[in-house]
Amino acid sequence: MQIDWLTVAAQIVNFLVLVWLLQRFLYRPITEAMARREARIETRLSEAKEARAEVETEARRLREKQQELEASRDEVLRKARQEADELRTALEDGLRKEMEARRKTWEDHLEEERDAFAARLRQHAGHQVIDIVGRVLRDYAGTDIAGQVAGTFVERLADLDAEAREKLSDAARRADGRARVDSGVPLDPSARSRVTRAVNEQIAPDIEVAYGEDDALLIGVRLTIGEQTVEWSATRFLGRLEKTLDEVIEGSGRPRSGRAAATV
Amino acid sequence: MEISPDAWVLYEWRGLQLNATIVFTWGVMALMVIGASVITARLSEGETVSRWQVALEVIVSTIRDQIAEVGADEPGRYLPFIGTLFLFIATANLLSVVPGYQPPTGSLSTTVALALCVLIAVPLFSIGERGLVSYLRTYVQPTPLMLPFNLVAEVSRTIALAVRLYGNVMSGTVIVGILISVAPFFFPVVMQVLGLLTGLIQAYIFAILAMVYIGSASRTGHRADAPPPTDTGE
Repeated sequence: MQIDWLTVAAQIVNFLVLVWLLQRFLYRPITEAMARREARIETRLSEAKEARAEVETEARRLREKQQELEASRDEVLRKARQEADELRTALEDGLRKEMEARRKTWEDHLEEERDAFAARLRQHAGHQVIDIVGRVLRDYAGTDIAGQVAGTFVERLADLDAEAREKLSDAARRADGRARVDSGVPLDPSARSRVTRAVNEQIAPDIEVAYGEDDALLIGVRLTIGEQTVEWSATRFLGRLEKTLDEVIEGSGRPRSGRAAATV
Repeated sequence: MEISPDAWVLYEWRGLQLNATIVFTWGVMALMVIGASVITARLSEGETVSRWQVALEVIVSTIRDQIAEVGADEPGRYLPFIGTLFLFIATANLLSVVPGYQPPTGSLSTTVALALCVLIAVPLFSIGERGLVSYLRTYVQPTPLMLPFNLVAEVSRTIALAVRLYGNVMSGTVIVGILISVAPFFFPVVMQVLGLLTGLIQAYIFAILAMVYIGSASRTGHRADAPPPTDTGE
């Protein structure tokens, strides 16, 4: 075991040289390369993190936008439903009003038809009544209906109170002595002369009387002098008949209102 | 049989002897420097890295990690010294499988030189870390009575470093020589393999102990808090 101090010194120098050379060719290049690579990896990692954060932000924004869209869609649906409800209500109201108007029109039309029917019925019934009454009078009393009518009219003229008779006399004076007698049935000459005589005696002695016919009077006579009128007719008898007929028609026109209405 | 390569003189000029220790040391140095420069001349910083570069990066980063594990705050500061110690000893020992090669670490002169380097590096690193006064104060702690013992410890551990490495490497060479003369086949190969392992372990132990000495001297008050690590000599 020997130590060569010269060799020791040379080895110390050799070792220090080796330290310097390895630092120059090994440690520094390797550590620098590793540091640069780590720095680049760090940079790329941070870039990736930034990109990820950006993507997450974008995703969050899109999610919020989607939620807004869903919310607005619900709002639109709600409005559409509301509009549809309003439209349906308006249509129902319109339809109801239209139905009401049609029903009203139908009822008016029905009323008119009923009135027309009643008028025709009344007229027809009046003629029938007159025919029947006339026939009965001829068959059983031996008189004609025109003569009876004229007789009744003469009696009524005689029963007039003084005030009414005065009014008729004044009217005869203003009307230049002309009077008109209308009857529902034609008066024969004897009846006419009786009526003319009664008028001359009761109202004005020199008045001229003209005769005419009016179907609306049915059985009866109407005396017209100027604006004054005296009338006697069978219309009031027919009034009750008309009322009864009205009740019958009302009952048949509204069958759902019950049978009791028809029997009133 | 030559025990030390110091005695193998290859060239002599005016009393200066160029022995095998120095020549083989140069050879090892040349191999290491050329290999390192060739590999680091084409360093890649991209995705693809050559396997040689990977090997060097693994070696360097492992040495840095070991230095950091011993307790150094800045591994890069000690890396050239400690790393060169380890790489030189390991390369010199591993090359012993080459026929005709004698490891320079088998020479007591080489190991003494390396131990002296450590002996000088410890105060240098410590003074650089904490200042001259603070370093000198560690020799009189915990009491001035400890000054002779601290000085003896400083010298003795240097001698221990040198002799441990020398003894292990030289013994491997001697054992192989003896076995070749006794049993020329098979056994020398086994011992060579064992020698590779021993050589690596010795390189590791030498470098780590050097780092421990440096680190313990560099840390403030460490000498008072904890005793120096005991040697784990073979």
